[in-house]
Amino acid sequence: MKYAYFPGCSIHASAKEYAMAAQAINKYLDVELVEIPEWNCCGAIDAVYAYNPLLSISLSARNLALAENMKMDVVTLCSACYFTLNRASNMLRENGDMKGKVDRAINDAGLNYAGGVKVRHYMDIIANDVGFEKIRQQVKSPLRGLRVAPYYGCLIVRPTGIQRFDDPEHPTSMDKVIQAVGAEAVNYPDKTSCCGASLAITDEEVMMEMTKHPLLTAKNAKADCIVTPCPMCHFNLDAKQKDIETHFDIDIGIPVLYITQLVGLAFGLPPKELGLHRNIVKPDSIFEKLRVSGQATAKAA
Amino acid sequence: MEHSKFHQITREMSDPAFIEEIKKMPGGDKILDCIQCGVCAGSCHARFAMDYSPMQVLKMAHLGLKKEILSSSTIWICASCYTCASRCPRGLDIPAIMSGFKNMAMKSNVTAPIALKPKFHKTFTEIVGKYGRMYEPELQIKLTEKTDVGALMHNASLGLRMFRKGKISLQPSKLSPSTHFTDIVKNVLKEEAPKK
Amino acid sequence: MKQPKIGVYICHCGGNISDTVDVAKVKDAISKCKGVEICETYEYMCSKPGQDMIERDIKEHNLNRVVVASCSPRMHLDTFRGAAKRAELNPYLLEMANIREQCSWVHDNKELATTKATSLIRGLTERVKHLEPLETKTMPVNRDVAVIGGGIAGVLASIELADKGYKVYLIERNPSIGGHMAQLSKTFPTLDCSACILTPKMVYVSQNPNIEIIDMAEPVAVNGSPGNFELTVKIRPRYVDKEKCISCGECAKVCPVKKWSRHEEGLTQEKAIYLPFKQAVPNAYVIDRDQCLWFNKGVCRVCEKFCKGKAITFDQKEETRQLNVGAVIACTGYQQLDSGISKEVFDGWDVFSQYSFGLHPDVVTNLQFERLMLQGMHRPSNGKPPKKVAFVLCVGSRMDRGIQYCCKIGCMNAIKHSLLLLKAFPEAEPWIFYTDIRAHGKGYEEFYSNARGHNVKFIRGRVAEVVPNGDDLILRAEDTVLGKHIEENFDMVVLSPALLPNSGTGQLSKMLGIDLGPDNFFLERHHKLRPVDTKMEGIYLAGCAVGPKDIRETTVETMATASKVATFLGRGEISLSPEKAHIETEKCNNCGACTQYCPFKAIESTAKGIVINSISCTGCGICVPKCPTEAIDLKQSTDRELTAQIQGTCETDGDKPRILAFLEKTTAYGSADLAGQTRIQYTPDVRIIAVPSAGRVGLKHVLTAFASGADGIIFIEGDDSPFREDGVRDHVNGMKKELGKFGVESLRLVSMTTTLPQFDKVVNLFQTFDERITKMGRVAPEKRKRLLEALGGGK
Repeated sequence: MKYAYFPGCSIHASAKEYAMAAQAINKYLDVELVEIPEWNCCGAIDAVYAYNPLLSISLSARNLALAENMKMDVVTLCSACYFTLNRASNMLRENGDMKGKVDRAINDAGLNYAGGVKVRHYMDIIANDVGFEKIRQQVKSPLRGLRVAPYYGCLIVRPTGIQRFDDPEHPTSMDKVIQAVGAEAVNYPDKTSCCGASLAITDEEVMMEMTKHPLLTAKNAKADCIVTPCPMCHFNLDAKQKDIETHFDIDIGIPVLYITQLVGLAFGLPPKELGLHRNIVKPDSIFEKLRVSGQATAKAA
Repeated sequence: MEHSKFHQITREMSDPAFIEEIKKMPGGDKILDCIQCGVCAGSCHARFAMDYSPMQVLKMAHLGLKKEILSSSTIWICASCYTCASRCPRGLDIPAIMSGFKNMAMKSNVTAPIALKPKFHKTFTEIVGKYGRMYEPELQIKLTEKTDVGALMHNASLGLRMFRKGKISLQPSKLSPSTHFTDIVKNVLKEEAPKK
Repeated sequence: MKQPKIGVYICHCGGNISDTVDVAKVKDAISKCKGVEICETYEYMCSKPGQDMIERDIKEHNLNRVVVASCSPRMHLDTFRGAAKRAELNPYLLEMANIREQCSWVHDNKELATTKATSLIRGLTERVKHLEPLETKTMPVNRDVAVIGGGIAGVLASIELADKGYKVYLIERNPSIGGHMAQLSKTFPTLDCSACILTPKMVYVSQNPNIEIIDMAEPVAVNGSPGNFELTVKIRPRYVDKEKCISCGECAKVCPVKKWSRHEEGLTQEKAIYLPFKQAVPNAYVIDRDQCLWFNKGVCRVCEKFCKGKAITFDQKEETRQLNVGAVIACTGYQQLDSGISKEVFDGWDVFSQYSFGLHPDVVTNLQFERLMLQGMHRPSNGKPPKKVAFVLCVGSRMDRGIQYCCKIGCMNAIKHSLLLLKAFPEAEPWIFYTDIRAHGKGYEEFYSNARGHNVKFIRGRVAEVVPNGDDLILRAEDTVLGKHIEENFDMVVLSPALLPNSGTGQLSKMLGIDLGPDNFFLERHHKLRPVDTKMEGIYLAGCAVGPKDIRETTVETMATASKVATFLGRGEISLSPEKAHIETEKCNNCGACTQYCPFKAIESTAKGIVINSISCTGCGICVPKCPTEAIDLKQSTDRELTAQIQGTCETDGDKPRILAFLEKTTAYGSADLAGQTRIQYTPDVRIIAVPSAGRVGLKHVLTAFASGADGIIFIEGDDSPFREDGVRDHVNGMKKELGKFGVESLRLVSMTTTLPQFDKVVNLFQTFDERITKMGRVAPEKRKRLLEALGGGK
């Protein structure tokens, strides 16, 4: 199964390991991601859109036009890019006035967007195109005993009109992946609460207060780790975890993995290939837990 | 947090053309459908940091209180998480409306309560317009006041952590000139130049 | 036809007409018309001397047709027809020309008003030449009644009608009557015990010799006509003989299968053989065949062995019964919104999911709360008394799509539940989260104040989410009055889901030939004045099937419905207007095209040919122009009559454009009369002709109009007509297409629907259309000649 792949700016920089792990597991899932050549920033939800909406939509449109030439559906790993590209796609379809302006902007670069591109999230591919059964079949080292808290965040399940593939209030796609790799999906109240990514740079304290909630409630639910499908959420939960601990004088200490890293571990792939050395909060406790559970299972056998 | 900046609504505060302006923005056509039920305010994950709740901003819009809305912190704090919109019984796209207000604020001469915000949007857009992709180190540097030593130190330490983990590149990645990317940006700015 | 001898009477109306219209001039012009035997003017035609004049002239001059040109026929048609009757002239041979509400009152230019009055009267004069004497018929009706739905509305309707002496079939889909009211604990605001007020009525119904309860039954077909309906009812097998069952319950004790109880709203379980509830009527057990092991796996039948009354009969079959009734009441009640329906009506959105309904046992609906009240209030999770309970209102109601209306009973229910909770547990803390508190009925506001006095907490703000937190629940909302976020722990959360019409309402409406409103409940005939009638005579409505309401309102409405049924059937016969459609069999080729157009299902293709049921037919005339061989005609609006009126109205001198307006004779015509009453002025270019429905006017008449001197044609239909807005539009668009072949521009036709009070919309159309036609100019004489030739030289 081949898809046009839109990495997005975060994957390119701070979230490299998400893509590394995705590439590593894709060959076992019969998924091929072909990077869109010379892609540009998606349009950045609000960062560009609030300042210059036409530019934001035009940026999205350029990517969509490039993908259209590749004649494949677009897959993105980043929830924010997923939202931004879909918003543009809908707007271009519904607002003729806007489309006219955007067309004028991108035509000079030799590009034209007819309107037929579908933009999907990588989790959608996993849940619907690959299927949980296939994942189960490829598992070499089931992550038995590992309590994993799935953090969906907002833009992968909302807004409800755009390409929705999972329930907006109680999504289950990641839970099912966690179960498929032999781990235990932990229930906690902040699966879809917002981490405040768009506020990270200008209102750091607000973001930290927002990200604190899933960290705390996942910890209270005795999760061994958190998994997420979004690089922006990952940054807040992982890279900023220490700052949050300091700021609020609390103790979290939970490693945060990308969903692709979790699946990669279960497929028996080496941690380095999955970029686990790049995670800020060390994932050592995960390996320790797996080792202990493995011993316990062996003893019980 | 001070939640009410004014105690009386007077006729002078009401801008009669404001509602028509709102109706022109994407999602703004439904502004008058709001019945102020409050589910948006109850759902908002960033509510604690806002002076007015999203519901209050929509009510203020009904009353034409343009200046009060554009100078609120609410419109800037909205994180576009869409929890409110997914539950709104009247189907309002509240984040789109907040975006529209941000845009209006940046085009007007109202001072934003968080000065960094308009600067952030402008700087971010300029960097993306220049390279085609975001280059975070440049963004951080441009947004940090050179006199704010604490912030500089903090950013430097975070930056170092990230660099060690290979999460930051020393050079921005640029699109090749054959893409004519900069022409697109030029064309857009020709159609619609923001004032600030 | 006999030589016409027409008497024309022009009323001054005490100056109301004669101050504007030169009645003497009109008299002169009309006297010269062929067939006019007498033409008089008089001060007040409707006065005794005026009517006497008509009577006398009929006798002395052997008049065989009469035209009274005065006020609107909606005022005095019956008055003048009475005079005709007294002179032994068939009343249908008298008609009126409206030269007051639709002429003198709305035009100030005397000359133009006079010309218009002349042409209107001329039109009538030509028309009456073709009128035939008609007789009102009477038809005996069946005095039995079918009541579909055995909830409180059906129960009360049956009792009312039975007490009035009617035989009633009470048809109920479930094994017991009682409906949702049988599930309630107490009713607001009096806190009467629901079962205590309902069950005596249910017992009375079962014992009344005039009422036959047909349980486990649903209608599958409705045929016949008002006053003589044939209802086919399918009765599902109970597998228990009602007569033999003594409700001892031994069967249930030994049944091995458990299932969720419908009556208990899924909170507890019962056996596959069960008694719906203790006070069920009929009071007999029933086997749920989907759960029963015998029907699914061919084993068990243990209940049969233990049945004391030998009542269990596994080989009971489905039955079909034919009921002959004169009238039908549809009172099928409501159902509550659930997750499945939510996803259907809200494009995939489940309004229950943000409240974690189904994910935690202590999130319940208000109906479930009623059952908990009766079981002894407790938390479903641990059986303990609830301390802090949140009531979440408007779940799925008042949305912008799907369900836009208010459920009407949510607020009062929550207040009731709060007070009952406090009565059971004085230390409990009820919190009501509302958007608006609706306490509209008698005693409701006082009930609300009472609750406030009892320290029930009211928070104004729609609840954002309810999330399980270990054993408890966290609720998040905004107190919009204070503008502050609320996050509280609760033991129990009670949801108030939207109410919808019961399942099967859509199919039943089609069966009965009645409409659904935009909210999908049954549509009443008129919002204010005919709230329990439907568009079909003999079919009536009651209860929540019409819209959500409380028990008192249902009772009041049901009394009205029973009264209407009694009026309809009371005399044992109904009188039928002769103004109906009929088939001219020599012209009919049995193609059956007409059968699909009748909104009242009155045309049938039978072995004997196409037949129009004269009782179901309402005389709208929509079928008439649809017949390709012109085999259908309509009494008192025959082809000849209509054509003659069109020709007469158009053939008057004058060089101003002539616009013919066909107005549906009740609502649209009434609206134009209303315009007249307010004296609003409009152009005299417009001449109104009343028709049963805009659909009665066909292409032939339109062409005749243009051929005879019309330059533009307006169609206005009442919005409550069976034709509906799209019907009129399609009909007129069809004619526009054909006009092109004759070189007449399609812009010369326009159509609209209106309600009775929207006369300003009607006048506005007259004015703007007149402007358009004036700009376009009159139809060229050559075109008119061509049309005349095409019509065969004019009939």
